[in-house]
Amino acid sequence: MNLVLLVVLGGLMHATRAFGPAAPGDAGTLLAFGYVLVSAFFAGGLFKQLRLPRLTGYIATGVVAGPMVLGLLSREMVGSLDVVSGIAIAMLALTAGNEISFRSMRPLLRSVAGISVVGVLGTTVLLTAAVWLLRPLLPFLRGLGPAQAAAVAFVLGVVMVAQSPAVVVALRDELRSDGPVTRTALGVVVLADLVVIVLFPIASTLAKAAFGASADAAGTARLLAWEIFGSLGAGAVVGAVLALYLRKVVAGAPFFLLLVTIVIAEVGRRLHLDPLLVALAAGIVVRNASGAGDALHREIQPSSLPVSIVFFAVAGANLHLDVLALVWLPAGAFVLVRGAGLLLGSRLGALLAGAPPVVQRYAGFGLLPQAGLALALSMLFASTFPEFGAEASALTLGVVALNELLAPAAYRLVLLRCGEAGRRAPELPDGEAAPPLALVRR
Amino acid sequence: MNELHRRRRALARRTIPAATVLLLPALLLPTLALASGGGAGAATRPELLVKTILGLLGVVALAYLGGHPRVNAWEARLGISHVVTAGFPFVLLGLAARHPSVGILTDPVVGQLGTLLGIALGWIGLVAGFRFDARLVGGLPRGTARVVALATAIPFAVVVGLTGLALLSLTGGLGGAAPRGGVLRDALVLGTAGAMTAKTSARLLRSTEPATLLSRIIRIEELAGVAGLAAVAAYFRPEVEGTWQLPGTAWLLLTVGLGATMGLVTYAMLQCTRPGRAELVVLSLGAVSFAAGLAGSLHLSPVVVTFLAGVLLANFPGAYHGPLGAALRRLERPVYLLSLFAIGALWDVADWRGWLLAPVFMATRLLGKRLGANAAARGELPLGLEAREALAVAPLGPLAIAIVVNAQLLYPGRSVSLIASAVVGGAILTELVVQLVAHGKLLTLERRARAAASAPEGDSREATG
Repeated sequence: MNLVLLVVLGGLMHATRAFGPAAPGDAGTLLAFGYVLVSAFFAGGLFKQLRLPRLTGYIATGVVAGPMVLGLLSREMVGSLDVVSGIAIAMLALTAGNEISFRSMRPLLRSVAGISVVGVLGTTVLLTAAVWLLRPLLPFLRGLGPAQAAAVAFVLGVVMVAQSPAVVVALRDELRSDGPVTRTALGVVVLADLVVIVLFPIASTLAKAAFGASADAAGTARLLAWEIFGSLGAGAVVGAVLALYLRKVVAGAPFFLLLVTIVIAEVGRRLHLDPLLVALAAGIVVRNASGAGDALHREIQPSSLPVSIVFFAVAGANLHLDVLALVWLPAGAFVLVRGAGLLLGSRLGALLAGAPPVVQRYAGFGLLPQAGLALALSMLFASTFPEFGAEASALTLGVVALNELLAPAAYRLVLLRCGEAGRRAPELPDGEAAPPLALVRR
Repeated sequence: MNELHRRRRALARRTIPAATVLLLPALLLPTLALASGGGAGAATRPELLVKTILGLLGVVALAYLGGHPRVNAWEARLGISHVVTAGFPFVLLGLAARHPSVGILTDPVVGQLGTLLGIALGWIGLVAGFRFDARLVGGLPRGTARVVALATAIPFAVVVGLTGLALLSLTGGLGGAAPRGGVLRDALVLGTAGAMTAKTSARLLRSTEPATLLSRIIRIEELAGVAGLAAVAAYFRPEVEGTWQLPGTAWLLLTVGLGATMGLVTYAMLQCTRPGRAELVVLSLGAVSFAAGLAGSLHLSPVVVTFLAGVLLANFPGAYHGPLGAALRRLERPVYLLSLFAIGALWDVADWRGWLLAPVFMATRLLGKRLGANAAARGELPLGLEAREALAVAPLGPLAIAIVVNAQLLYPGRSVSLIASAVVGGAILTELVVQLVAHGKLLTLERRARAAASAPEGDSREATG
């Protein structure tokens, strides 16, 4: 039935596009939004029947319906939906932060730290080295001196190591998974994103200095400090407001949460704050400093599902398959290097931290998916270094595309294999939470 | 003296909460004006963007609060003036937000309002259609069809005729200068909107049975409004190069077909999913947006398409009726308030012709409603005095506003802005008339009826005579 609905929806879309010139702006946006929402929803159901992650179905919808394949969604239509991406990132970060309970994370803290240092930082160094070694295959690096090439390689290494809390949270929710692997993976990707956000401007500044541009280190440090500490502070305030609302008002909470994430995404960005950090901090405050964590988890579901469906579908529609066709060889090599680095590094870091064997074996898979942050950094890189940024960005986009398509399926398989899928307390009808299940610690 | 004192206290009870509700937008605007620094700068200035975003979100939050069940219960209990609760303060808010000194709605933002309006129209259409259960028409007393026909056709004809003349004279068409096709179209839109009655009319009746019958009549009237809008959208299509060229009847059939198709597709989606809260939001929002987008892309009316889809959904069996109905009803009011905000933002108050047309629209509509109610009362179905009065002096409903907003989207331009002014202004004036006239009249009728009931038989004929 899912397939039949997809065909019917696609047929209606095709007929409408055949009507004539491109639909007027507003109608085109509405059409794209509605089509993406329902067809990605049913594609997710279809993929679930095929034992693949729902979100891979959402991404596949965007790829197939997008400008690269069937063309049911034009570039303009996809562009008009980009506003949803910012809101989705904020919403997913809020959910991710809400899952970070200090009390339950305390036993896993050493593992998280170990994996982050060895796995994530180690892979950054590994990717930097790989870019440096493979520079004869990369046209945009050929004309650069050793110092410049090294600096650019470092920036690319930071971009390519970025992970995706969005995918990890989405898969955790889809499979209702809980346990040390799930929690460690979530903790690592959250911490790793923070590390990447700090490293990227440092790496960019060094690269600019290598190219002789005036590198205002003090200015960069000030901006970075505002971005990080300002975001955390703003997030704490937002978290306090959310907690107050969820405890005292409650009515209309899904709507209120949606409004708050819009404010975080749109207003925060324009104040040079990082919406991801703001939302993350807000979620952490709600979980750890108030008793409203469960309420937040319950009330955010009605708003977050449609937003995340559209987010992943738009991400799929924005994948440049034509670019991938050109850079698939080096991109494939970097995907393998990244994957190997994260898996081996995570294993080593977990081993050194004394993590349980199941965490050593499986937690690294949670670091493989990539989405919003990596894409955003690719774009930023392209705009920061216009001379060669487009070509380099094409490479990183290719890496992200491959990870976005393949990694969620791998992580899903791992969650099933390690037995953590389905261990989360099920929700009753109408969104009421059942009493939590007891977890078995290994 | 006791009666007078009681009435004064009742008036005060109504006025103070109404003033409080109006105070809220009034407080919001100066705050935003101060934040704007007295002028609108470049649209890309971060502070301006932040203010725009916060201002818009503030409006959305107000709209949501305005539709909260507690607010609705509070208004019903205290009998707050419907001018306030009908959401017209949101029209004023939209107007003010557009003003350069406030600067929340700059031109680029206003350009984007069409998307919001599209969803709002689709939602209103789906809600109206979902209420149209086939059981609505079953078991109606004999003569109801005649009442509905007369209560809609006569006001429609009167409004079309008289406002058509007014439009011709205002646009210089009487001398043959202006294109008359546009005037006819606009007059038909006004007539369709004017024939609608707000469901709150039924609240004016104290006794249950006439109120129930009147509610059902008003619900069936909505069908006429939707049919009118469908006809206008089909027969008065804008000329666009490179699109399908079909006769008007074919477009009308296409509209019906599209609505039916969307109804079937939405039904299939709801049946093959086990909808929890989140899934229901996805399916309802997705279906409304898709249907509205399809209609908008084909230059058809989203209200009509989603109305037809809603009718099908209401009459097909399924477990989704309860949850879907609750979700639709919960957001109906906030969506309506947001569409009023958008219409306020798009309203060209500087156009004096709109101000002139508003009382003309109100007067012709009330005249048509009076004639229609009197004609309907002479039929088989015995319409009581109260029901007749409620039909005759009736406020405009959300569907009337949706009809004119839809026209604004289908035919953007100055003439449609004119009819938007007429309908919105006319609706506000009508509300005032209803509150000032109808309440008093109904109280009088009630008093007479009580006097007739308590007086001896011989005197009762004199009391009611």
